[in-house]
Amino acid sequence: MPSAGCIKHDRARCAGLGVCEAIAPEFFEVGGDGEMVVLRADVAPEAEALVREAIESCPTQALSWSE
Amino acid sequence: MTSTRRLSDHNVSANSFWALTARQRDEVWRELRDHEPVSWQPPAEGGLMPIEDDDGYWAVVRYDDIREVSTNPEIYCSGEGVQLENIPEMFLEPTQSFLAMDAPRHSSLRRLVSAAFTPRRIATIEDQIRSQATRIVDDLLATGDCDFVHNVSMKLPMWTIYEMVGLPAEQQEEVASAADVIVSSNDEDVQAGREPLEVINDAVMTLMTAGLDLAEDRRNHPSDDLMTNLVQAEVDGEQLTDEEISAFFVLLSVAGNDTTRNTISHTAMALAAFPEQRDWLLADFDGRIGTALDEFVRWASPVMTFKRTVTQDTVLNGQPIAAGEKVVMFYPSGNRDERFFERPWEFDLSRSPNKHLSFGGGGPHFCMGQQLAKSQLRAIFGELLHRVPNLELGEPDYLLSNFVNGIKSMPCTLN
Repeated sequence: MPSAGCIKHDRARCAGLGVCEAIAPEFFEVGGDGEMVVLRADVAPEAEALVREAIESCPTQALSWSE
Repeated sequence: MTSTRRLSDHNVSANSFWALTARQRDEVWRELRDHEPVSWQPPAEGGLMPIEDDDGYWAVVRYDDIREVSTNPEIYCSGEGVQLENIPEMFLEPTQSFLAMDAPRHSSLRRLVSAAFTPRRIATIEDQIRSQATRIVDDLLATGDCDFVHNVSMKLPMWTIYEMVGLPAEQQEEVASAADVIVSSNDEDVQAGREPLEVINDAVMTLMTAGLDLAEDRRNHPSDDLMTNLVQAEVDGEQLTDEEISAFFVLLSVAGNDTTRNTISHTAMALAAFPEQRDWLLADFDGRIGTALDEFVRWASPVMTFKRTVTQDTVLNGQPIAAGEKVVMFYPSGNRDERFFERPWEFDLSRSPNKHLSFGGGGPHFCMGQQLAKSQLRAIFGELLHRVPNLELGEPDYLLSNFVNGIKSMPCTLN
């Protein structure tokens, strides 16, 4: 499957708020322990826009995009 | 380094400033945004306790500058207090919890409760929130003309936060009233002839007692709620102290009640003042409410100020700031910054993107309850707009505060 890029997660900055999850629940999940997990790091081209929106919306700038 | 302080001609610390309407206040902020984006201000008037070496603070009023302060906690720290007003030491510990902490302690303590506020956890209680909203509107229709704040705005947030924490229903109203006092001790109605310090002391005692009683109960009878999580939690191998637990309880009480309540009141007013916006929303409520919610929250700007202390000499938007000096962010001003928002004084429910500052400007202190607040707003306006279409609101009675954009009461008629 072609991949447009991948999600990078900086755990030190992440506060587990779940803003990313509210936008793209197929890619992000905050677990019962308050830790956010990236469910799928590789992003298909058709999901790129949504994932980029989630990354940009992170209040603690804990997410980034890499080609 | 000495910073170049020159007291601004536009005083945003005086009670007379906070007694203005939101629109009038923004005219002053607009002057500052245009000509003095980082201005030196005198200490807040009406502080509970004057602090002798406090000579003032830097007021931060532009959108981009509020973002910069919020997202650089190493330079702009919270550990020395976050309220504009000086709060006596004796009240800081028992009331602020992780709000007035920095990493790493902030992250450890906040995580103990943040897991209860994630999208998936909120989704599990959404049905409860909806049925509670239905009940509130059932009661409103049965009651008829009444005070909107008491009968609608305050009910849903109070019920929701205390249901999550585990506080029994019969205690909720008394404890929520005490939480209100914490953010409104400057207001003469709230003081009722007493000294602000005495008023706030009583409120803190009520809250602490309720919090500690509940903690004690959950130690013996664990349940599925936040208080049980707190009494069972360990941070760095140690259990939380009673003081830490009760501070959590106070913070959740304050943050969980007045913010959403005031957003409900302000939004109800805005929907009445802009009927074409209400009609637009109603034409496809389920499809449009998601976007509209952010405009509700931008418009209301329920929290108006938070303070930070500068840890090292720095420069903000050209203004040198010395280590140890305070900066105060004015969120309603950032939310009306014409550099960032087009037509900022238009209530535009289709505004998108809408990256407002009402949940904070980003960074580790970003509002933990934002998903919860949105669920409540969605539920209560879904009920109100569909079932009370002819709701009319009378004159609001505003709270005098430099912290929360409060409405004490507002008559409503159902027609």
